[in-house]
Amino acid sequence: MEGKIIVVTSGKGGVGKTTVTASIGAALALQGKRVAVVDMDIGLRNLDVVMGLENRIVFNIVDLINGRCKIRQAAIKDRRINNLFLIPASQSDDKNAIKPEDMSKICEQLKKEFDFTFLDCPAGIEQGFKNAIEAADEALVVCTPEVSAVRDADRVIGLLYARSITPKLIVNRIIPKMVQKGDMLSHEDVVEVLSIDLVGLVEMDDAVVIATNTGTPLVMQKDSKAGKAFTRIGMRLDGHPDLPVEDPSSQKSLWKKLGITFSRKNRIAS
Amino acid sequence: MINSLLKKLMNRTDSKDVAKKRLKFALVYDKLEVREDILTDLQNDLVDVISRYFEIDRCGLVLDLDRSDGCSALVLNTPILSARRQ
Repeated sequence: MEGKIIVVTSGKGGVGKTTVTASIGAALALQGKRVAVVDMDIGLRNLDVVMGLENRIVFNIVDLINGRCKIRQAAIKDRRINNLFLIPASQSDDKNAIKPEDMSKICEQLKKEFDFTFLDCPAGIEQGFKNAIEAADEALVVCTPEVSAVRDADRVIGLLYARSITPKLIVNRIIPKMVQKGDMLSHEDVVEVLSIDLVGLVEMDDAVVIATNTGTPLVMQKDSKAGKAFTRIGMRLDGHPDLPVEDPSSQKSLWKKLGITFSRKNRIAS
Repeated sequence: MINSLLKKLMNRTDSKDVAKKRLKFALVYDKLEVREDILTDLQNDLVDVISRYFEIDRCGLVLDLDRSDGCSALVLNTPILSARRQ
C-alpha cells in the first residue's frame, strides 16, 4: 500500500511547525510506522537541529531532486527511534532551487518507501509553500491562539482548498490559565473562525524548549503534556480519527472527564 | 467561570472577545480585497461593452471598489459623450 504525504503548514512563522513535524513524525515511528520528515525550508533549515541530527547531514533535498543521491543516502536514520528518517533542506540554495513538479516526482518515490512523509513547510505563501503543497495528500495547519496566526491560517486554508486539500487544524501553545480568564482565544473560538476540523490541541509546555535545546524527541519525555498531545495526534492520523481531543483548558475533575467520555460514547452510539 | 461572571458584573469585556471580533472583521475585509490587475481587466471589459452603446470618454472613466461597514460596492463613473445610433 502507498504511504501518505502530509504537509505541515501555517502561513505565519514561529507557531511551531517544525516542532509539530518532528514530534508527530517521531510519535508515528514509535507506533511502528515507517516515517520520513522532510525539511522544505530551503536556505533556512532547522528541522535537523530540532531533531538533533545536524551533525549527520551529507546530502539534502536539493541533492535528491537533482539526482546527486538516492533516497536511501539523503534520508538520515534517527538512532533513537526506529523507522524515523530525516531528509534535510539545503542551506546554500534558495526556494527557487526546486519546482513543484520536482516535488511530485520525489513524493511518488517517498510514498513507496514510507508509510508517512511529513513535509515541514516554510512560513509564507510563496515558492517554498507552493513546492511543499504540490504533492501533498493531506495538510495539517498549525495555529496559535493569536489574531495574527489565525488570520494567516485562514489565508493558507483558502489556498489549500483551492488545491482540493481539506486541511486539519492543530491549535498549538494554548495557555489554559489565560483561556480560563478570557484573555486568550479558546480553541472553540479558533475553530469557529476557521471552520475546519480539529485534529489536536497542544498546551504551552516548557518541555518543548528543553527538548529543542538538547535535540531530543519530545514524545519520548514521559511527563510532557505537549508530547502526549502529539502522540495522540499521531494516533488520530493513523487509523484512530475518533480518539477524543483532550481540552487542556478544562478543569480536569474526574466528573468532567467522565462527562466527556459519556457524551462521546453516546454520539458514536447514535 | 467565576472570573467571567465577575467581569460581566463589572461590565468588563474579555480581551479574547475583542480579539475574536477584530479577527472576524479582518477576515471579511481580506476576502473583499481584489487584485489591482483584475480591476484593470474588468475596467477594460466594461469600457468595451459600454462603448457598443455609448460614446464615452475612456480617460474619464473611474472604477472603484467602495468598502464600508458590512457591505462592499463596485462604483463606475463615466462621462457619456453621446449615444450611438444604430
